[in-house]
Amino acid sequence: MGNASINHRELLEDLLLTRRFEEKVLEVYQDRGIRELPHSSIGQEAVGVGACYPLEDDDILVPSLRTRAVMLLRAPLDEIVAGMYGTRSGPSNGRTTEHHMGSSEYGILGTTGMIGAHLNPAAGAALGNKVLDNDRVTVAFFGDGASQRSEFHSALNFATVQELPVIFVIENNHWTEASPIEKLVAVDDLADLANHGLPTKVIDGQDVEEVVDATATAAQRARDGDGPTLLEAKTYRYRPHAETMPEHRDEATLEEWRDRDPIELYRSRLLEEDFVTEDEIEEIDRRLQTRIDEAFEAAETDELPDEETMYHVYKDTEIDHWKGVVR
Amino acid sequence: MSQQVDVQAEQTEQTIRESLNQALYEELERDDSVILYGEDVAEYGGLYKISEGLYEEFGDDRVFDTPLAETTLGGSAVGAALAGARPIVEIMYADFLPIAGDHLINYAAKMYFNYGDETSVPMVVRSMYGTGDGHGLHHGQSPEAWFMNVPGLKIVMPSTPKDYKGLLKSAIRDDDPVLFLENKMRYGESGPVPEEEYTIPLCETDIKRRGDDATVVAIGGMVYEALEAAERLSDRGVECEVVDPRTVTPLDTDPILESVEKTNILVTAQEAPTFGGFGSEVAAQVIDDAFFYLDAPVKRVGAPFTPIPFAESLEEAYVPTAEDIETAVIDAIET
Ligand SMILES: Cc1ncc(C[n+]2csc(CCOP(=O)(O)OP(=O)(O)O)c2C)c(N)n1
Ligand SMILES: [Mg+2]
Repeated sequence: MGNASINHRELLEDLLLTRRFEEKVLEVYQDRGIRELPHSSIGQEAVGVGACYPLEDDDILVPSLRTRAVMLLRAPLDEIVAGMYGTRSGPSNGRTTEHHMGSSEYGILGTTGMIGAHLNPAAGAALGNKVLDNDRVTVAFFGDGASQRSEFHSALNFATVQELPVIFVIENNHWTEASPIEKLVAVDDLADLANHGLPTKVIDGQDVEEVVDATATAAQRARDGDGPTLLEAKTYRYRPHAETMPEHRDEATLEEWRDRDPIELYRSRLLEEDFVTEDEIEEIDRRLQTRIDEAFEAAETDELPDEETMYHVYKDTEIDHWKGVVR
Repeated sequence: MSQQVDVQAEQTEQTIRESLNQALYEELERDDSVILYGEDVAEYGGLYKISEGLYEEFGDDRVFDTPLAETTLGGSAVGAALAGARPIVEIMYADFLPIAGDHLINYAAKMYFNYGDETSVPMVVRSMYGTGDGHGLHHGQSPEAWFMNVPGLKIVMPSTPKDYKGLLKSAIRDDDPVLFLENKMRYGESGPVPEEEYTIPLCETDIKRRGDDATVVAIGGMVYEALEAAERLSDRGVECEVVDPRTVTPLDTDPILESVEKTNILVTAQEAPTFGGFGSEVAAQVIDDAFFYLDAPVKRVGAPFTPIPFAESLEEAYVPTAEDIETAVIDAIET
């Protein structure tokens, strides 16, 4: 054990919440559709869950569109699901997709549809917090694909030279949409791309406690004013890139990764070490399932937003949105 | 937020360079969450010396140099603003704005819409445009039309030293992302600037010269050319009203419409290529709302649809001038 003190049952519950939620998304999507196209995080849950665990509530999270755990651990379930449906109870009343939602209240930095565009803003949020002289750490999650962009290098360089309190977490699931990482990058560890003078660490993204520990250490370093850290978590997704795409990856490799399922690994360890009983896990599962089902029911009966909702473009200036000029 | 400037107040003669420097100084002093950064803005004082002395005064926590990475300038400013700071970044030449374009167009402009809790992006990107110094294709373009079509961005292009200062201060205090465009050919231009503290509100069109015969809507550095053209035309008995919107987006059209309703003639003037530009939008707005007041077709003055050429003779042929505005006004009146 490293820096973090861990309540095992709580951590397992975070994992189960994410897994059960993602399963529900698939079930509903396949049965009757969901407006937001699912990019499932099944198989990768331990990265988001583990990284969030040792953080403070007011630390700032900057998720990739696959880091569902961040949303689930920070925002109310009802709002998340309404956000996926584009109904009026969603986080921006239907203006934006849940994938990119931002909320100062929940400490989630908004993102865009541009993969990797959030890395410099994450460094910037850390800069902002440094200027405001608070204790907040910013944690950015992104895929192996994002690490191929120049944004990755410019953000890491800036964060390092300015000693910013930020942690960069690569969720290396070995696939960038439909292309395997070895065709796109010539190094084995993406951490080796980052020779920017900041500490880097390759970790097992299927081992939730390893992620917790690495993040706790990086967060301490950031809070001590010593600057950023890059973590590369090796992981794998069980589903295709998005639910509209066919599966074309090798079944044997998928099977190998499924054998190291992050939820199952942790569950069996906790059972073995008597931290929980089967009954207790079942009870947790039942409770989570009820909450999730209720959130979906609420979204399915929620109303669509009125047209007025989208006229929300400038904070300080009233405009005629059809003419585009000052009112 | 803004105080109207008392006409009787004490004024001093200042250059645009000085008034901008003072605006930055005053805002850095007023609000600890304001920071200024960019390439060579700190110890060197900015390539055009706009931030001279600020690093010495406020230290490198508030005023600092950055790596040569416009994506970092644009992106980090968005993040810092979302976190609650008020970043001002300098992007040395407006030609480099497209490098940061993703952060301006897809990030800064859209986060107020994207958030549900009134969080916005109070950042200012200062950048330099302006043609006529032989800098060629990539160091002088007028970028307003590249960004005009982006809901969520504000674009400010002042003309006089007083406007530059008052508008920059408002831009820094504004809760929306502002692209603040400075004409590098005009930094040495001087004019009266109030001694006491003042701001000038964004999104308010100003009338720079009164006249009943023709309306010239000019933006940025072209306001000076329009005023010069107006003086010459006055000698010929034609009185131009020179209208300076100051903010390109969102545009304050009412004063433009009122002016056209009075003069019945509209000429627009910009440094950028005429096609698809600021003047085209002004013309379209006037045609929408004041068409029957027009006595003649709208004339748009701007650059040809070519890159900015390098050779002296070509550059001279390229840049719109007071003569071009004068000709356009006469053409319109004589139609
Ligand atoms: C800048 C940009 N390029 C391409 C895309 C299209 N796209 C969306 S997700 C994706 C793959 C991203 O891969 P990775 O970063 O590894 O994340 P993962 O999907 O594996 O979680 C691509 C190519 C995009 N959205 N943005
Ligand atoms: Mg990937």
